[in-house]
Amino acid sequence: MSLLEVKGLTVRFGGLVALDRVDVAVDRGETLGVIGPNGSGKTTLFNALTGLYAAVSGEIKFLERSLSGLEAHTIARRGIARTFQSSRLCRELSVFDNILIGMHAHRRTGLLDSILRRGRLRSEMRQAVERAAHLLSLFNGELPGRGFERVGQLPQIDRRRVEICRALASRPRLLLLDEPSAGMNPEETAELMTDLQIVREEMPGLSVIIIEHDMFVIEGVSQRVVAFNYGRKIAEGSFAAVAAHDEVRAAYLGRESVRA
Amino acid sequence: MILVWLAEAALFVLIVAGILAERPLTLAAVALAIVIAGALLRLVTPLRSTLARAFGRHRTAALLGGAALALVLPVTLRSSPYWTFVATLALLYVTTGQGLNLQIGTAGVINLAGAAFAGLGGYSVGLLTVKTGWPPWLAAAVAPWVAVAVGTLLFVPILKTRGHYLALVTIAFVFIFNILMNNLEFTGGPQGIKNIPTLRLGGHAFTARLTLFGVDLPAHANFYYAALATAGLTTWILGRLHDSWLGLALNTLRDDEIAARCCGVSLTREKLIAFSIGNFFIGLGGALYAVMVGFVSPPDFDFGYSLIMLSVIIIGGVDSIGGVVLGACLLLPLPERFRFLHEYRLLLYGLVIVVMLLYRPRGLWPAGIRGYR
Amino acid sequence: MPPLELLLQQTLNGVMLGMMYALVAVGFTLFFGVLDVIHFSHGDIFMLGAFAGLSALLALAAVGLRTPFVTLPLAFIAAMVVTGLVGVMAERVCVKPLARSAPLMTLLATLSLGLVLRESVLIFYPRGADPKPFPQLLPAGGFEVGGVAIRYENLAILGIGLAAMVAVDLIISRTKMGAAVRAVAQDPEAAQMMGVNLDRTVDATFFLGSALAAVAGMLSGFYYGEIHFIMGITGGVIGFSAAAIGGLGNVYGAMVGGLLFGLLQTTAAAFIPRGSEFRDVVAFAVVMLFLIFKPSGILGEKSVERV
Repeated sequence: MSLLEVKGLTVRFGGLVALDRVDVAVDRGETLGVIGPNGSGKTTLFNALTGLYAAVSGEIKFLERSLSGLEAHTIARRGIARTFQSSRLCRELSVFDNILIGMHAHRRTGLLDSILRRGRLRSEMRQAVERAAHLLSLFNGELPGRGFERVGQLPQIDRRRVEICRALASRPRLLLLDEPSAGMNPEETAELMTDLQIVREEMPGLSVIIIEHDMFVIEGVSQRVVAFNYGRKIAEGSFAAVAAHDEVRAAYLGRESVRA
Repeated sequence: MILVWLAEAALFVLIVAGILAERPLTLAAVALAIVIAGALLRLVTPLRSTLARAFGRHRTAALLGGAALALVLPVTLRSSPYWTFVATLALLYVTTGQGLNLQIGTAGVINLAGAAFAGLGGYSVGLLTVKTGWPPWLAAAVAPWVAVAVGTLLFVPILKTRGHYLALVTIAFVFIFNILMNNLEFTGGPQGIKNIPTLRLGGHAFTARLTLFGVDLPAHANFYYAALATAGLTTWILGRLHDSWLGLALNTLRDDEIAARCCGVSLTREKLIAFSIGNFFIGLGGALYAVMVGFVSPPDFDFGYSLIMLSVIIIGGVDSIGGVVLGACLLLPLPERFRFLHEYRLLLYGLVIVVMLLYRPRGLWPAGIRGYR
Repeated sequence: MPPLELLLQQTLNGVMLGMMYALVAVGFTLFFGVLDVIHFSHGDIFMLGAFAGLSALLALAAVGLRTPFVTLPLAFIAAMVVTGLVGVMAERVCVKPLARSAPLMTLLATLSLGLVLRESVLIFYPRGADPKPFPQLLPAGGFEVGGVAIRYENLAILGIGLAAMVAVDLIISRTKMGAAVRAVAQDPEAAQMMGVNLDRTVDATFFLGSALAAVAGMLSGFYYGEIHFIMGITGGVIGFSAAAIGGLGNVYGAMVGGLLFGLLQTTAAAFIPRGSEFRDVVAFAVVMLFLIFKPSGILGEKSVERV
């Protein structure tokens, strides 16, 4: 049984069909790459999976339970975590704060504890901060030391890493990465690929879906690739197969390139 | 540690002198001293950093010192019942301010109906004591819950809407509240509710003069200490909540709602919690005001007061627990001290907010990084 | 069930009130369109317009000019210019600088600016706390149609209001500046790349919106016979709600919203016992209910957040 099963998923915005009867499946421990031109529905897929958009029709099954109609926070608690194209971090909050929010769903101390049994809160927070520091140290040994700085002060690649740590902090079963290499130069992209490798090693059972425009990254990290165009899935298979697929090439390079 | 206490004592002396000085010579001397102290802090950086370090390292000592000075304040002000009253009022604004700050500053829930929730607290006390004969302690304990209940009923559907709509709804609400209080018979109409009984502690009525360790204090001192205890408790509770999972979740919801939701934060639940807890303390402030002053009337809780509460938060710093205390202590006494400004009070508050937002949006005592202490 | 005549009378009143609300609402919606901000002090600009008009009329009377044909247009123009300029100043000082920061900041800043305007009038206008009678300069008398009394004054208000709305429509749809406003509302960056001067367009928008509010303010003075320094709060709340009902950013929606609101207020006042005292409560309650259940308006709001 697959970890994630999407069948016939359709998302519409007024008259625009953003996703058109999409079928996708992801197995445990698998990394699925998602490619396609801008506007082809990739982020829409993520948004539908995480409960930010409502689907018009179709089914999403995660760990054999349906996700239809569930709120975003409920879906997150089921074990899906994500990053965003525009790296949604709270710039004025500290690095640790930005990671700790990922552990919100698993907190054990409540309001009363925070007021009256402060010792419990302190120790839970200490453990949380240690975990956050550990996650940060996987990517950049200097980051834990900057944990109490405002995250807006970090360079972009480190901010991406903080976002990934936030996603990992909730111990997800499925991680959705939305164009993690956006805005990065080749050196940073290479570092990112190392980071993704580290993630695989740190959490071996983790399934990942990664949207990317950088084919180098896709090729390097995915076991399987799907390609989208105009909201429909147009190809699926290994990277080599998909890259050679006529419709994919047409989508990226134009009809003429295919005839050649 | 001594440095911390010396600094606090110096500040205390300056403030009290500033309040009580009457003769032009003393007034000038105090003004000069304040200006010099301010200049020294602003310009002599080593002084500022030494003080900052000292306060940072000896937080408990600083708090104890501050508490001690706060306890002693009515003694120094005993010649002026009026100023004791003003100080008490400032403390009430600390209480309501902390509640409002949790909503606006921490959670980003724009509540411009603060005056209405305070009014719910105050009027509840009035109705419970005068119309139903409840003892004032009980009424004051129950009144904040009325504010919470009304708030919950009214705003559950709203919590999912964007900031400016919520602001508008709260403005509408405070006006509705005001008009209703003014026009309904059981709330006393424009006259309000009078003769609210005062609090009593073991036979000692809070309207009687208070004698502490041989020192004779004006009657308002009773309420000062009650308000001090309440403000202290409120600040302590909300400080701890801010520095916990709740504060973190609320900040994240405020700054990036989508990211927060995708981390498992329930928008409805967390905002409702913040809104309710906030309304509780706002209502509490209003309830205490009712027992202190002995009557409530519609003009006491109109939109203007919502804006005053707002300016307290903005001056101190949104989302800053210390900022609320600073804001209340600055904003309440100053127009009283400079009597000629009293008429211009609201105008000045408005200008101050605009200026602060343009040049110091974080406030005078900005919120710090969460340390989970 | 009130008689038909009363209903028709209230409908007429409702349309008049609605015109005024519509004029204020258009301002709100234009500002939102151009800068993505809710200009909370716009209601007090409306109040300022009324007071500016009153001052102009009093000044003209003091100089000996009393013929309505002359004084009315002069007063309107004076009020529109003064209010327009104040609106632009407000925008330059307090709206545009904060337009990039958190929406909370603009909201609080404009709210406080409104407070400043309100208090300034209270403090600096002679005996500002009292309601001020507005000179009855519109033609007196009227006629009856099927039991409904129609006063010339009413027609004048309707006429002026309608003229203002038509003027706005023409400006927005037929002039170059209007095209610039629409362009900036759709996409500021693209508009700039097409050669639109962003600052000047924003200034013009605020001038226009504020001038409209001045017209509304004066009309309100004629309708109620008096003006009061706190009229801006109710005017602002209702104006904003009307704009919201019509969908923020949608000028025609704002006009529709304003009319709807005016009609709602007068019919409710007719039907509800003690309606006139609770007239404002009804208005605010409608605002709240509407915002709770359909905040994006009847005709749809302009922008959607991108994830």
